[in-house]
Amino acid sequence: MTTQPDIVLETRDLTKAFGGFTAVDKVNLRIRRGAVHALIGPNGAGKTTCFHLLTKFIAADSGQILFNGRNITAARPHQVANLGIVRSFQISAIFPHLTIRENVRLALQRKQGWDYAILKPEAALATLDDRADELLAAVGLTEDPSTIGASLSYGRKRALEIATTLALEPSLLLLDEPMAGLGREDIARIAELIRTVSRDRTIIMVEHNIKVIADLCDTITVLRRGRVLAEGDYATISQNPEVVDAYLGGGHG
Amino acid sequence: MIYGQLLIGLINGSFYALLSLGLSIILGLLNIINFTHGALYMMGAFAAWLLLAHAGIGYWPALVLAPLIVGLFGMVLERLLLSRVYRLEHLYGLLLTLGLATVIEGLFLNEFSAIGRPYPIPRALTGVWQLGFMTLPIYRAWVIAASVTVCAATWLVIERTKLGAYLRAGTENPALVGVFGINVPRMVTITFGFGAALAGLAGVLAAPIYQVTPLMGGNIITVVFAVVVIGGMGSIAGSILTGFIVGLIEGLTKSFYPEASSLAVFILMAVVLLIRPTGLFGRATTLTSNAGASSHAPPVLSGPAKAYLMPALVMTTFLLVAPAMLYPAFLMKALCFSLFALSLNLLLGFVGLGSFGHAMFLGTAGYITGYTAKAWGWPPEAAIAAGIGMSMLLGAVVGFLSIRRQKIYFAMITLALGELVYFFFLQIPFSGGEDGLSPVPRGRLLGVLNLENDITLYYLILALFLAGFFLVFRAVHSPFGQALKAIRENEPRAISLGYDTDRIKLVAFILSAGVAGLAGALKVFVFHIVSLPDVFHSTSGDVILMVLAGGVGTIFGPVVGAFLIVGMQQYLAPLGTWVMVVEGAVFALCVLSFRQGLVGQMAKILGRPL
Amino acid sequence: MDEPAVVLHVLELHAYYGESHILHGMDFRVHEGEVVALLGRNGAGKTTTLKSIVGLVSKRRGSIALRNNELIGRKSFEIARLGVAYCPEERGIFASLTVKENLTLPPVTNPGGLSAAAVFELFPNLAERQHSQGTKLSGGEQQMLAIGRMLVSGARLLLIDEPTEGLAPVIVAQILTILQRLRDQGYTIVLVEQNLRFLSSLADRSYIVEGGRVVDVFDAARFAANIPKVESYLGI
Repeated sequence: MTTQPDIVLETRDLTKAFGGFTAVDKVNLRIRRGAVHALIGPNGAGKTTCFHLLTKFIAADSGQILFNGRNITAARPHQVANLGIVRSFQISAIFPHLTIRENVRLALQRKQGWDYAILKPEAALATLDDRADELLAAVGLTEDPSTIGASLSYGRKRALEIATTLALEPSLLLLDEPMAGLGREDIARIAELIRTVSRDRTIIMVEHNIKVIADLCDTITVLRRGRVLAEGDYATISQNPEVVDAYLGGGHG
Repeated sequence: MIYGQLLIGLINGSFYALLSLGLSIILGLLNIINFTHGALYMMGAFAAWLLLAHAGIGYWPALVLAPLIVGLFGMVLERLLLSRVYRLEHLYGLLLTLGLATVIEGLFLNEFSAIGRPYPIPRALTGVWQLGFMTLPIYRAWVIAASVTVCAATWLVIERTKLGAYLRAGTENPALVGVFGINVPRMVTITFGFGAALAGLAGVLAAPIYQVTPLMGGNIITVVFAVVVIGGMGSIAGSILTGFIVGLIEGLTKSFYPEASSLAVFILMAVVLLIRPTGLFGRATTLTSNAGASSHAPPVLSGPAKAYLMPALVMTTFLLVAPAMLYPAFLMKALCFSLFALSLNLLLGFVGLGSFGHAMFLGTAGYITGYTAKAWGWPPEAAIAAGIGMSMLLGAVVGFLSIRRQKIYFAMITLALGELVYFFFLQIPFSGGEDGLSPVPRGRLLGVLNLENDITLYYLILALFLAGFFLVFRAVHSPFGQALKAIRENEPRAISLGYDTDRIKLVAFILSAGVAGLAGALKVFVFHIVSLPDVFHSTSGDVILMVLAGGVGTIFGPVVGAFLIVGMQQYLAPLGTWVMVVEGAVFALCVLSFRQGLVGQMAKILGRPL
Repeated sequence: MDEPAVVLHVLELHAYYGESHILHGMDFRVHEGEVVALLGRNGAGKTTTLKSIVGLVSKRRGSIALRNNELIGRKSFEIARLGVAYCPEERGIFASLTVKENLTLPPVTNPGGLSAAAVFELFPNLAERQHSQGTKLSGGEQQMLAIGRMLVSGARLLLIDEPTEGLAPVIVAQILTILQRLRDQGYTIVLVEQNLRFLSSLADRSYIVEGGRVVDVFDAARFAANIPKVESYLGI
């Protein structure tokens, strides 16, 4: 069985249980190339676990993950990253005590394959500075590149994280609640950034901010209790009675 | 014969079980690996001995009083000192308790010297039982019975009572337990006190069997750490059981292959780590993405390579002219330890890995270099290369076993593997055992330079020190070094960028072992001898102190720290065992209120990287 | 009729996880004997509000007054002893404790705490399973255990985070009955909830939370009359 060429990522019956609790239950996802695809659902629906499974931070109990038709179910997390699937984290993930340029450069040097270049001088790293600064500028981080990451505001840390991720030129980007903890202005800025970034790649995001999702995403998958409840564009999803019920509460009645 | 050995095994197991039980309870609730546990055990024995010697209070009252005293002491320790590091990286708890253990043991050594003091077996328990197949001393039977009873009772209290429910719930989620109205800080204090009391009780039980000496705690604690690693976290019954099992295995080894008996525990640990990394009874943990919430080593100013040029010139100039002012022997020793400290700092400061058994690399290289030079007459350059090579090989093995585990486990595993290496050199004939390997000839470098001349040797060591310094410096500033820092700062993120962090850590570990090996190889030539202290865990502690005092994660800190501590040891030597107390106190003080270290502090004041 | 006394008054509350700024000036009050709901989408700050009240969020500013006691600056266990009980979203059942141990974990700090027997009377199916491991219970049973546990300490102010989340309709109905009974017994309850039908027959007042602050409030009558508007706040 071959995968259609326009499907970047596909899961087949992906399942993960913790103790007796099945967090992700036979989830089948098909992510189209170039899409901005949202995973939404009430708390505990299994969204973040899905992310951990897709990036191999957690091993699945059963099921398969296919990336560009290739089975990556057994890959290790760093290998998944090197295939072009790069994730972000709920809490903004930067290297706090390094400069913002060093942060971005870490992704650039990874692509150079310099992981074990113990004797390569700093000068070699400096050749990446221009590209790093470009990426910083692209996300609006125009301050001195020797600024320490930790000193940025929370919203700007998100931007730094995105710049670092982009440096890897990933073909598939997984964003875990990119808007969490951001103020209004920052949300607008990061949303704009995601829109720009989405032009050349596929994005899967977990997000609670419905406005952002309605605005950015082509396809929405709704999860509930580890299962796929519905899938479609915003208009379809928002009219789906089951989804409305999941959000507003199915009860006695 | 075999029954006798099994009995001894069971006796040892009794102590292991009592100690690992207390250690596990504390580890579970406080997330601190309590290095003072051995000292508390020793204090229990001394409390009994002192009660008898000075107050005429005998064994039976001491069995209650000594644990009480030790328990109270533990509670004071927790309230006054340990509670200050809970919010910090867990490694600091380990460092603080290591410092405190050194202070306590130093004070006792100072007061009572290392002489063993006998403690009489209480009259009711003297004599033996003839069991037909063996003779069973009644006191030994009592110790086993007492340990089993106390362990079982503790298990019952923890698993079956309300008090135990608090402890179990607190181990799972202390914050939530607080929300239910339970005073968690007080619970933590009481728990620590209880764990300490168990150690004290073990001490009293041990007093009539072993000699009461200030060193008794240090000798047993590393075995108990291995027991905890073997048993794994998360099971009270598991830690008790593992204690007895390990004792028995030790006993069995003693009857079949006595030379390996002290190694058995550590070999068992290595095997368990290979097969079941979470330990026999431990629960598996998954790699979580709790990124960003990390609070690692204190932020250190770093800068481009050229920023270090001036201070490097100052250092080199000083070292070039130093022999005119200071004893070459002192300088050479300090340089060797500087290299050693640099190697540790590469891991501790730049990867965030605290190796607590680093002396194994210093010692291993020392023995190999010493043996090849002495027995095979290898020239110094070949002997040094052999030493470094072996050290790196050891680094590959130890690194492979340990780097996958989280920080505090990493510390325990490296410590225990270090002990394994120590016992190996204690047993293996070529090392000269307690006497060490000497005299090691300095020889002629490349057949030309006569190293018997102190000044010649000094400049050779200086040259190699500078080379090692440059290597570490270059590594830290290379792309590889950037990757190391990324792992230190946020490992899940580094993985998500595509770094194979386990392998990178392993390479760093091997590199560090190599530099430590260079230090060890050179040190042999300075003193013409390599001996057991070079592989002993106290040396591993010394080097951690050097890095801490100088400044973790700084470039020059390890060198400054090494000169400081070696100087202190040298110039305070007339104070005898007080040196240990001072060292331990400096250690604790550094952890509590001087975590930046001397050079880190200076960098902050000058506003420049150092 | 006199308005009942204010039990809980949250004023200009800001809260942070690390640097992440979650609450941006929460304002609401709860009177004696009321059931008050906090409604809003995921990530709006409802859970953080409850956690801030019980001291699980350390970085907060503003004011949280429990009668005459300011709670900011107090430790969790001190807040609990003032008569506040909390049930977290994930229910907080301890895996290493039996059902009965879970139930009797909170110390009795105020008069009127229920005995285990009394709680078992309230939830008969818990009694049958009192010796099994806490986390072996079904989701509904765990929720009942968690609610029962709040009644043990004698607290009169109950903070409950999403009691119906992930539960089957039958169980939701049972939980509703229990909470109604608790209301009738004079407990003051603050609920975080998404289930509108559930709330409509329970809450005296509902605050809509968005972006870490209260953006609207409905009393019971207005709530019933404005369901579409409320849905627009919460809906997809």
